[in-house]
Amino acid sequence: MAVGLLMLGGGLVAGVFGSLLGLGGGILIVPLLNLGFGLPLREAVGVSLICVIMTSGASAAVYLERDVANLRLGMLLELFTASGAVLGGAVAFLIDPRYLAALFAILLAYVAWTMLRSAARTSTAPTSMPTGDDGPPGALDPSGPSDAPGSPGEVTAVALAPVAPAAHDHPDGGFVDRLSRPGYHVRRLRLGAAIGVVAGILSALLGIGGGIVKVPMMNLLMDVPLRVATATSNLMVGITASTSAIVYLLRGGIDPFVAGPTAVGVFLGATLGSRTAHRVDLRLLRWLFVAVLLYTAFQMAQRAIAP
Amino acid sequence: MIGGRPTDAGEHPIETRIGQVLGIGTLIAVILLAVGSLALLAAGRSPLDPAPALDLGRLADDLARVQPAALLWLGLLLVVMTPAARVVAALVGYLGGGERGMAVVAVLILVVIAAGVAAGTIGA
Repeated sequence: MAVGLLMLGGGLVAGVFGSLLGLGGGILIVPLLNLGFGLPLREAVGVSLICVIMTSGASAAVYLERDVANLRLGMLLELFTASGAVLGGAVAFLIDPRYLAALFAILLAYVAWTMLRSAARTSTAPTSMPTGDDGPPGALDPSGPSDAPGSPGEVTAVALAPVAPAAHDHPDGGFVDRLSRPGYHVRRLRLGAAIGVVAGILSALLGIGGGIVKVPMMNLLMDVPLRVATATSNLMVGITASTSAIVYLLRGGIDPFVAGPTAVGVFLGATLGSRTAHRVDLRLLRWLFVAVLLYTAFQMAQRAIAP
Repeated sequence: MIGGRPTDAGEHPIETRIGQVLGIGTLIAVILLAVGSLALLAAGRSPLDPAPALDLGRLADDLARVQPAALLWLGLLLVVMTPAARVVAALVGYLGGGERGMAVVAVLILVVIAAGVAAGTIGA
């Protein structure tokens, strides 16, 4: 009973943190299960994928109904992220878990660094978010840690500014033209597709949504506005993570007893986080989180060196 | 909290339908996982106990007996299948709208998902 409640509570905290800071649950769930509960790293990744799919599914539904996510672009790119996810899912069962731990330590250190950079940039900005008009800064920073499935049921970051009317109808336009909308023109599709494969591999290996790669890719390389890039990345997370989760599930890499309470906790936490984001001073939270990330990176690195 | 505005379902029928598929699928999955977790804890079992492997042949019988593992497996299957269901919904929508290019993309995504099933099955 106690362990189950701890998993639920841990998932809840991870969901709240992830939602408030614009991160997906994966970056928190994997260390929690691996370091905190002693679950093998591969199984922790499998459970994390489930959490990521659930949180992204609920918020993607809102993004779609509000027409913020670019469905056509998302579907085209997820063809490549999903391909990478199949590859990553298969490779994950072949490589030594110590390499996975090392890769995860690098990821944690990178996210801590981007959060520090973002915190330094916004140190003079107001820290309490204006009600309803702003979201987790991490999710709005294209170079920052935006793994962001965000928040089930409520959308905190990207659906905040009005979006240009969608142009679903380009009767004379070609296939590629239909991926663009008034206000932006999608560029460098091939590069986006190639990077999408890498994002899929990382997602499958580390149990993350991959937004940390996809959002900057779409925003900085493909000229997609940030709020659309974040929403579209969130939509893509579902297919990317579920493709690799299928591999994990069929190979016995997902423990249902662990996945149940953890995923429910993450879902509830993300919902709670999205509803309280506007009342929270993110500055202190961010520094605290950076400390947690760096400590966890150290622990993961130790596990990589001496498991 | 939510910016933007709800769009007219008639204006973007595919997006609206897919959003509904995702929302409903996720909600049912969360409920199943929550009930399964409660049943697990109520039975005095720890999440760290060994869990039974997924056995599709026995799933219906175990569900009828309200076995925690069966509820959890069904919830997990729903979680991983909901995104695929939204691709099918998109495929139907694009075929209905005569958008062959996007319909082909949807089919290819389903092929990749099937490759994931194959990769999981072969390695199991």
